[in-house]
Amino acid sequence: METKYQMLEINLTTGEKKIVDITEEMRLFTGGRGLGAKLLWDRVPPGTDPLSPANILWFGVGPITGFMGSVTNVSAMSPLTLNRGQSNMNGHFGIELIYAGYNGGLLLTGKAEKPVYIYIKDDTVEIRDASHLWGRFNPDNQETLREEIKKDLDDQNFRIATIGPAGENLVRNASIDHDLYHHAARLGMGAVMGSKNVKAIAVKGSKQPSYHDHDFLYRTLLKWIKEGLDEKVGRRRWGHSVSMPERYYATTEGIKNKQLGWDPICDLSNPLKLEQGAKLWSDACNLCHVGCKVPYMRRIPPYAPTTGEIRHDNAGGWNANVMIPGYDVQTYVSTYVDTLGLDSEDVSGVVAWMMECYDRGTITKEDLGGIELTWGNVEAICRILKKIAFREGIGDKLAEGLKLAPALIPQAGKQYAMTSKGVAITSYEPRGSMSDAVGLAVNPVGELHGGRGTPERIMFDSLTTCSFLRRNIPMVFGSIGNWARRMLKGAAGWDLSEEDWQNQLLRASFMERCLCIREGYVPERDDVLPERFFKETIYNKYGEPKILSWDKFLETRKKTYLSFGLTEQGIPPRQKLQELGMDFVIPTLEEKLGTLK
Amino acid sequence: MVEKEIDYVKMLQEKTGWGVENVPYPEGVALIEARWDLCIGCGYCEMACSMFHFGVINRELSRIRIFRYLLPAPKSFQNVCCQCDEKERECEKACPLDPPVIHYDKEKFHMVVDVDRCLGYKCGQCLKACPAKVPRFYPPEHNYALVCDLCEKDGVRRPQCVEVCPSFALEFMKPQFPQHLQRIHPDEKAKWMAERLIPLNPHKAQITPEELFGGDK
Repeated sequence: METKYQMLEINLTTGEKKIVDITEEMRLFTGGRGLGAKLLWDRVPPGTDPLSPANILWFGVGPITGFMGSVTNVSAMSPLTLNRGQSNMNGHFGIELIYAGYNGGLLLTGKAEKPVYIYIKDDTVEIRDASHLWGRFNPDNQETLREEIKKDLDDQNFRIATIGPAGENLVRNASIDHDLYHHAARLGMGAVMGSKNVKAIAVKGSKQPSYHDHDFLYRTLLKWIKEGLDEKVGRRRWGHSVSMPERYYATTEGIKNKQLGWDPICDLSNPLKLEQGAKLWSDACNLCHVGCKVPYMRRIPPYAPTTGEIRHDNAGGWNANVMIPGYDVQTYVSTYVDTLGLDSEDVSGVVAWMMECYDRGTITKEDLGGIELTWGNVEAICRILKKIAFREGIGDKLAEGLKLAPALIPQAGKQYAMTSKGVAITSYEPRGSMSDAVGLAVNPVGELHGGRGTPERIMFDSLTTCSFLRRNIPMVFGSIGNWARRMLKGAAGWDLSEEDWQNQLLRASFMERCLCIREGYVPERDDVLPERFFKETIYNKYGEPKILSWDKFLETRKKTYLSFGLTEQGIPPRQKLQELGMDFVIPTLEEKLGTLK
Repeated sequence: MVEKEIDYVKMLQEKTGWGVENVPYPEGVALIEARWDLCIGCGYCEMACSMFHFGVINRELSRIRIFRYLLPAPKSFQNVCCQCDEKERECEKACPLDPPVIHYDKEKFHMVVDVDRCLGYKCGQCLKACPAKVPRFYPPEHNYALVCDLCEKDGVRRPQCVEVCPSFALEFMKPQFPQHLQRIHPDEKAKWMAERLIPLNPHKAQITPEELFGGDK
């Protein structure tokens, strides 16, 4: 028997809670990111203000959430890009929803009257007053709530997702934080949660998850942990800090807001030094043997004592891109961003933009409220971050993100803002690799850690599982498709053929693209990168020039569209849409783009 | 007598496991020792336990449990029965029935629960008495104390959690010191581990910029 999927829907305006059967939708759109797009399509009218009560916030899980990392894919219309928004949060939150019996996720609609937190313990769902938590930083708010709920529950194994002050103040790139080191940070999901007056969500489940075939799943997972050791070797030891030096040497990591291809400062980001001097232990997500969350603790002043973690989203952004000298200093800044509840990656792009403007003189000390925002100045960075999180002075404008802020500060210089569709490009330097460059550009929702726009990556976010393991999976199971079909058979009871699987991939990725098109995205117009990457040459450590060729970029982009199953213009073809049973999108698409091919 | 040769090259090539399964298991009195400094909190042990005993993936049915804390860095700790020495066996003493439902099997060397006689969650005296709060109940389906039986089946002990743990954080070994000294509640473990982070505490992940640079900006 196939698994049934139930979604918990909470209307914050009325306080009404109901359970919705979404088995059909899950079967079509898989869950997570794919189903999130469908829910937004159905429930949010076109052109809705993302910070209004009409927006929804979906904590999406998928059929295999909790196996290989418990990814929760958060979906809402994004206040940052004013288009489809989504972000992934790993850790242990999603699996808790499944154990609570909501294997179709948690949907929040409307807006609470006053600050609240949502308490879910199996069938008990309560909207509780959170005035005592409002204004608190991470992780103070989580710990306070944990201590409070511990009085109710005999054990404290529940999971909490919170927003920091940035989310409360509707900073457009605010994040949702879970266990301090897991964030649904991209595209302003924290601001949406803040706009709904929800400070925190605490979940604890103790029901039997309704998997189709436990034994089959268990066998598949045992095979995976006994044979899929490659990722464990590096990531367990160093966490994500390990990828940075390699990327600097490959010129795929931004330096000085993308003005340089190499700087001696890059060699200060040494994972070995960080590991031997400051590593505490390794920490993993649910049912993942990799354990790539590696907390560090630094005691040596300046900028200490501090705990910190170098993650893929803050690793590049708060490094040479703002000229911070190495991981030792970065651990401090990264953690400060986390405590404020900002998206590390996006806000570092905003700060890097301001730094370049200050360097060039288009922004003065007076504009910044007396802050000397020179390259690598940690004190200045912390002060400007606080201004952004609390929307003080120029922070009020910077809090609008790179889509809206350049128009509010016209003298600064829009050309220095490194952004794609309003999302800051921080950790990536497109000039080092054409495939990286195109990968950044073709994601319909904006730049999300490089190649997050491919159907395969969208499927990882839909299933939901950690896409970091995608390199390792083919070594054990032959191909991603083999593995996923096996997992889906065990967890959901869906017997997919290879062709079904391909269609499943396309359906999720088309759904997202169609939603973006409905909200004004035109692939050929919007899938571009800032001019700097095509006009300014940078040089790597060995003096080799790096620059993107526009013609080659267009050509590669076209090939990429075709490889995604799209037309050369980046639009889903009519015939394929009909085959996939997505006829309902065709009228909207034709209204926006003319007749479909 | 010809000793059986182990083909180490083959073993390495076949990647049969993490290596733990090649450590000889102890005979007689033994326990599962949790090395909480190494625990990454993945929860494979919980899955292996519930699969072995009930054939389902459900950590609530597991006899070993993972507790997670923010110290403020996230840290996980295991909670599992350490098969206490006779005089320290608080659960057995606390059981209101005679003979006690929860007791030590001297032939199998592990705790046993008489499933049919157990009064279940509402009684819960063993849970209250255990300093580490190890016994668990899963009403309504399995309303009796769940405690570690070292995965003993027909006299053969192969603790699944130890075999599956991807970070060597569980060891099946002879007691190295009085067993009940391992009987530590995860809250206590967290408190000890948090000493590594002094002067920071769970509410404070770092020294604030205000403290570092002065001013209230």
